[in-house]
Amino acid sequence: MSRLLVKDAWLVDGAGDHGRADVTIEDGVIRGVGTDAAAGFRAARTVEAAGRLLTPAFLDLHAHLREPGQEVKEDLASGLAAAAAGGFGTVVSMANTEPPVDEPGLVTSLVRKAAGLGRARLRPAAALSHGLRGEVLTDFAALQAAGAVMITDDGIPVTNGRLMRSACQYAADLGLVVQTHSEDPSLRAGGVMNEGAVSQALGLPGNPDAAEAVMVFRDCEMARLTGARVHIAHVTCMRAMQVVEQFKGMGVPVTCEVTPHHLTLSDAALSGFDPVFKVAPPLRSDADVAYLREAIKRGVVDSIGTDHAPHTRAEKERDLLSAPFGLPNIEVAFPLLYTELVVPGTLPVAELLRLLQDGPAAVMGWPAPRLAVGAPADVTLLDLESERPVDPETFLSKARFSPWTGRALRGWPTLTLVAGEVAFERQVPDRSGAASG
Amino acid sequence: MATVRVEIPSSPTPRKRHLLDFEGWSADDVGALFDTADVMAQVLTRAIKRVPALQGFTVGTLFFEDSTRTRLSFERAARAQSADVISFAAGGSSLSKGESLKDTLQTIDQMQADVYVVRHPAAGAPHQLTHWTEAAVINAGDGRRAHPTQALLDAYTFRQRFAGFDGFTGKRLAVVGDIMHSRVARSNVELWRKLGGEVVLCGPAPLLPPEVAPQVRHTYRLEEAVEGAHAVMTLRLQLERMSAGLLPSPAEYVSRYQLTERVLQRAHPDALVMHPGPLNRDVEVATEVADGPRSVIRDQVANGVPIRMAVLYTLLVGTR
Repeated sequence: MSRLLVKDAWLVDGAGDHGRADVTIEDGVIRGVGTDAAAGFRAARTVEAAGRLLTPAFLDLHAHLREPGQEVKEDLASGLAAAAAGGFGTVVSMANTEPPVDEPGLVTSLVRKAAGLGRARLRPAAALSHGLRGEVLTDFAALQAAGAVMITDDGIPVTNGRLMRSACQYAADLGLVVQTHSEDPSLRAGGVMNEGAVSQALGLPGNPDAAEAVMVFRDCEMARLTGARVHIAHVTCMRAMQVVEQFKGMGVPVTCEVTPHHLTLSDAALSGFDPVFKVAPPLRSDADVAYLREAIKRGVVDSIGTDHAPHTRAEKERDLLSAPFGLPNIEVAFPLLYTELVVPGTLPVAELLRLLQDGPAAVMGWPAPRLAVGAPADVTLLDLESERPVDPETFLSKARFSPWTGRALRGWPTLTLVAGEVAFERQVPDRSGAASG
Repeated sequence: MATVRVEIPSSPTPRKRHLLDFEGWSADDVGALFDTADVMAQVLTRAIKRVPALQGFTVGTLFFEDSTRTRLSFERAARAQSADVISFAAGGSSLSKGESLKDTLQTIDQMQADVYVVRHPAAGAPHQLTHWTEAAVINAGDGRRAHPTQALLDAYTFRQRFAGFDGFTGKRLAVVGDIMHSRVARSNVELWRKLGGEVVLCGPAPLLPPEVAPQVRHTYRLEEAVEGAHAVMTLRLQLERMSAGLLPSPAEYVSRYQLTERVLQRAHPDALVMHPGPLNRDVEVATEVADGPRSVIRDQVANGVPIRMAVLYTLLVGTR
């Protein structure tokens, strides 16, 4: 294990702003924090932070890493490297792979493989139903014992209400989080984008916000009925958010997530007919985007999950009916949100960090990540000053395309440590004369 | 072969233009195109129905969705101007399965067509293709979005057949049927308004969402739509709409939305009856109306060729 010193960083975590100080790391944990922490510490390597922001590495409760079976899109090595490049130290991988992660053996093999990669930590989700078919429950207890931390058929809504109820009952007993992809398939029908003025003008089949809102209501009712911790993935519209808000107000153990793209893009993005913008649930109206932002300010939103959903470029060069849903974003999530929400003053940086750190930790019942002595050394160093355009050619993800290509962003992670080891480091000259040692 | 002078000015440097919808086309542009179509229509009345106007050009028809009528009409329009034609039909074939649209196009692009005529089930596919080829692209129907040459031949037919035609201003087109799924309706709204006319859309509520063409009047009542209209266009009703849960039954549709002689009495005395085809006789339109004196349905089909000749000519050679 390396002994590492981060000098003169601006330290912020969920407990507050700790000002500029040094952090020492040894044996995978934080050993010292403070202006005198470096005294007597023999660092194998010193990182000159020069006032950049050091903060706990982010937690992503929602990423599609595509392994097993879809390695042409992404695999654990590329996906967890991309996550670390985005400042994420922990990723919950979705189970809609080929085959789906519905057997304990698959969970075990993913965990084992990820552990040897030295990138972000993997905490797999497991399927709710066998084969994601929405018919028969998987063995939650065995999946949990193998390392699964969440139960979800994400990608495919659970249409059968009785099955969802049973899933919630089991999950409540086992203390597992059930994450839901809440869309009513019959209302969604063949929709490839948000239904509204834009879809009608473009002549593309629409997917109405009601398809999401009615299913969010059902899933919140299941949380109320069973006491299970239900995490609503990717809430995209006002109506669905209002439903979540209503149930939260009643004390129901429901939590919710929004994604970077639903906070920054609207359905107007489809006007150029580029399937890169085809996601599920769809990009909504400008009013919905504004509502999601307001919901964050009011504290209704628990976490930002990326829903990083890589595909091959060729798959996204199909027509809009046949191109798959989803876009890659885990490497740009923080810079994007920092630039679009924090820089203009919409959101304080501490609130954005909460949605990537303490928020998701609380959803999962994990300890809040802290820059404290003895805490795991999962940290990321963020450059809030330099502006750099999004260049998909530099992505560590296999999906080298982006809705934000060319967009100049600030807030890029320059270094991510996981268990005290370098999981990502940006190889660019920096203004302080750089990392040395 | 006799050379026919085509009486429109030629640009010294031909500009590549697409026809994806009517964005960027003015009423004057469309009027000039109609004038070109008049010349083309004359050509088609000659003993030898062929001019060398597009000799040396290659027209590629790319049909990703089954269509016989539109494809034949374009191919006829190309050959009548001595263009070479290459045809690609992917509807149901395995050729494009799993292959990206871009890959498919770039394979075909090796044939070096000058213009592609594209029909695709996905809205926007012709727009996507313009990013990947140097050739001009003509939209021959994309999903629910647009079918500009159909709208052109509809307006051209109206201009030709409406008694004492003196312009589109003040003329009202009623479009009746499955508006939501109709590219013909959307293109007609776009073009008819550009030419100065009015449009009213009519259909059952599940097929006429308020967000479709919100700039024109909507009604769920056939009688209201037809009242005073100068042209009534009925659209083909796909019988799948019943199984999709959108409509109760063909009988219900017939009783409320079929265009009959009785309803047509409410229209302008010189009103024309149109239909983009193919026709469901006695579903959306009564046979007596479809075959009656006001029907210009056959003229629409016939005008498809000169209009498409004019479009090809305009994009490949002429200025608009």
